[in-house]
Amino acid sequence: MTRALHRRAQQARAARAVIAWEFRQRNHSKGVWFRLRRLLAMTEVAYAVSPDDAAELVREGYQAEEVGEHLEPKKILLRIPPERAAQLPNKRAVPIRLGAELLAERYLILVPWGPPAPWPPAPWGHALPPKVK
Amino acid sequence: MIRTLTAAAPVLEVPGVVVIGSQVPNLLEPNAASTLVVSEDVDIGVPLAAHPFVKAALAQVRGFQPSKEEPSVWVPNGPELIELNFVGMGTGDPLDTFVFEDPDLPLMVFGPLSFLSAGLVVDADGLRVPLPKTAGLLIEKLLTDRSAEKGDRDRLVVLGLLLVARPGDEEELVALYRDLPPDLQYATRSNLGVLSLMGPIAGMPDPTVHRAVVARLLERLEEASG
Repeated sequence: MTRALHRRAQQARAARAVIAWEFRQRNHSKGVWFRLRRLLAMTEVAYAVSPDDAAELVREGYQAEEVGEHLEPKKILLRIPPERAAQLPNKRAVPIRLGAELLAERYLILVPWGPPAPWPPAPWGHALPPKVK
Repeated sequence: MIRTLTAAAPVLEVPGVVVIGSQVPNLLEPNAASTLVVSEDVDIGVPLAAHPFVKAALAQVRGFQPSKEEPSVWVPNGPELIELNFVGMGTGDPLDTFVFEDPDLPLMVFGPLSFLSAGLVVDADGLRVPLPKTAGLLIEKLLTDRSAEKGDRDRLVVLGLLLVARPGDEEELVALYRDLPPDLQYATRSNLGVLSLMGPIAGMPDPTVHRAVVARLLERLEEASG
């Protein structure tokens, strides 16, 4: 009767082994996705821009993120402040998902989040559940 | 959910037993409003030390019977109740997962569940429902690696928990995180990264409108990684 449970336990142990394997890969090619997700998680808005706009931003001193170099085809990913992004009239917003739309773009500017919001986020405000014990 | 919890009340009265899983964000909402997560069952965490007492309490539970294929699952006799899923909570190696054999109530003991400890007892329509501390449940959800839709749902439960977090939860979470080995810290942050980029799923909190919450936590954990 517990065969299914044993199978699930085996799967869980295998998943643990995968976690360790992924960690060992973090500085190699497999770790690219972790670094790209991390970069995008720290991004509030992403825009696709033209090669010329990207080149101009690089000339201004904005450095392309290294993770873009490790993708094939390579991408120019530039973190720039919202004020500079606002000055680019031809930019096009791209949903921040690891989907085809974002991955198809070669030149992206990434606007980071502003100052962190207070913790906890508590959209319920003061109406927290009653504390019984 | 409340009807199911009420039916399972004798089990919930056993010391150490906690409701875990996707129902927790619902129960932490004001008045257990249950608007955050649509769920198909109620997961009940059973410390192994409490196992004999839970078995005894199950004799008083009406409206359910153990599944023939999977006796750690109790299936309802009618449509007004949802499944009860009993899961073992060990106190040993948080990285090991094993089966606790028992002829009546065998349990899958998930290692990451050992991060859970007793937290609030909430009042849900007059029923006292014991919950684990949010920080431990967050770590557990971020470490229990599941694939495909189940994994996505677990990550959105994480988001639901973040949305009902209270002062002090972050500090507890960071403290638990600091004690993790580096590969599990990495896995925790990796799952937060995935959560930040997910699209909406019906019946779950929308990650696209709460990305700032996730980014803030990720940044906090990176600081704690040293």
